Amino acid sequence: MRNNSYTLIFTSCVTIVLGIIIATTADNLRERQKTNEELDIKKNILYALGYKQNIDNPWTNKIVESLYNNSINEIYLDHKGTAYQKQKDIEKNPLKIYQRIDNGLITGYAIPIEGKGLWGTMYGYFAIEPDAVTVKGITFYRHKETPGLGGEVDKEWFKNNFIGKRLVDNDGKLVSIEVIKGFVSDKDPEAYRKVDGISGATITGKGVTTFLKKDLNKYEPYFKKIRMLNEIESL
Amino acid sequence: MKLNLFSRKDKKIIKDPLMGENPISIHILGICSALAITTKIDTAVVMTLAVVAVLSISNTVVALLRKLIPNKVRIIIQMSVIASLVSITDEILAAYYYDMSKLLGVFLGLIITNCIVLGRLEAFAMQNSPGKAFLDGMGNGLGYGAILIAVAFFRELFGFGSIYGYNVINDNIYFSGYENNGLMILSPGAFIILGLIVWVHRSYTKVVDKE
Repeated sequence: MRNNSYTLIFTSCVTIVLGIIIATTADNLRERQKTNEELDIKKNILYALGYKQNIDNPWTNKIVESLYNNSINEIYLDHKGTAYQKQKDIEKNPLKIYQRIDNGLITGYAIPIEGKGLWGTMYGYFAIEPDAVTVKGITFYRHKETPGLGGEVDKEWFKNNFIGKRLVDNDGKLVSIEVIKGFVSDKDPEAYRKVDGISGATITGKGVTTFLKKDLNKYEPYFKKIRMLNEIESL
Repeated sequence: MKLNLFSRKDKKIIKDPLMGENPISIHILGICSALAITTKIDTAVVMTLAVVAVLSISNTVVALLRKLIPNKVRIIIQMSVIASLVSITDEILAAYYYDMSKLLGVFLGLIITNCIVLGRLEAFAMQNSPGKAFLDGMGNGLGYGAILIAVAFFRELFGFGSIYGYNVINDNIYFSGYENNGLMILSPGAFIILGLIVWVHRSYTKVVDKE
C-alpha cells in the first residue's frame, strides 16, 4: 500500500501532463478548426442559394472559397431595412444578408435563421428568390435533433419541400412558412405556404415554423421594399 | 526484452478479440455506439479507427504506468488517460475531417464511456507489459470495428441501397417496385441486424453463455 501523499502527487502529475498535452493539441489545431467551421458555413449559404455539388467534381475547400468569393455579396441592413456595404455603418443590431450575384444580377437572398428545436438551438440559412416572395432553399448546418426523427431537417426530402413555397399572401402580407403535422393537402387554400412535417418530430417542426416567422419578420422591411420595387418595375 | 510480433501468444492476443472473445458479439459491450453510428459504412470505419487509436494508446500508457498507479485511484487515472486521448482524437478530427466529426458528433466523445476501453485497461493493461497491451488494444479495437462495419454494411445496403457511398442497387430494380427499407436507418433496424450478427457469430465460434 502506498501512502496518501504519493497518491496525491502521482494523480497531480498525471493530471498536469495530460492537461498540457490536450491544451497544446487544442491550441495548435484551433486555426484549422475555425477555417473548417467558416467553410462549412459558406458551403451552407451556397446550398441555400441553390448551388449544387457535382458528383464527379465534389467541392474542395478551394472551390467553395472561390465560388463564394465570386458570387456571394454580403450586405448589412439596419432595422428599417436600409442596406449598407459595411457592418460598422449601422449603429446597432445590424442584420446580415447574402446576395447571390450571377452576371451582375441578384438571383437570390439568403438570411441566417436560428431557433429552438427539441433538444437545442438549430442554425441554418433560408434563401429567397429575387422576387422576395418565393422560397429558394433552406439548410441547417448545426442542430441537436434526434437522428431519424427531428434530425431529418437537414435531409434533402425535407429541405426540398420548401423550394417554391410563397412567404406572402395575396394581400402582400408576410405569412411565413408553416411546417404542419402530416402531409399538405392539395385542397388546402394555404398549401402555398405549408410544408410536410416530419412524423415523430412535431416539436422540431413547430420550432422551425416559429423561428422562420421571427427571423423573416426582422428582414421584412427590406424584402417589402424589394417587392414594391418589383411591382413598380412590372407596371 | 524484444517483443516478437509473430510469437504464438501475441497472435492469440490479437486474434482472440476478433473471434471467440469479441467485445461486442461475445461480451455484448459497446452496444450504444454499435447502434448509433452504423447507418453508413464510412462513419463506422472512422469510428473504428478512433477506437483502435484510443484503445491501443491508452492500453500502452496504462501498462507503462501500471506499477506506479496507486491502487485506490486506478480507475480515475485510467479514465483520465482515456478522456484525454478521446479529446485529442476529437480535436484532430474536427481539424482535418470536419464533415465526419459533425456526423459522429457526440458519439466520438462517448468513446470515454465505452465499456470496452475501460474494461481492457482494467483487465489487461494493469497486468501486462506495454507491448502486449498495445496488441490487445489493437485486437479489441479491430474486433469492435469488425462488428460495427458488418452492421453498417447491412444497414447501408438495405437502408440506402449503397455500399460505402456507392449506389449498388440498379434503377431498374427500384422501378420494378423495390424500396429502401426505412427501418434499417432507425435504431430498431440496428438492433435486429446486431442480434442476427451476434447469433451467427456465436454459433460459428460455438460460444454459449454458461448457465
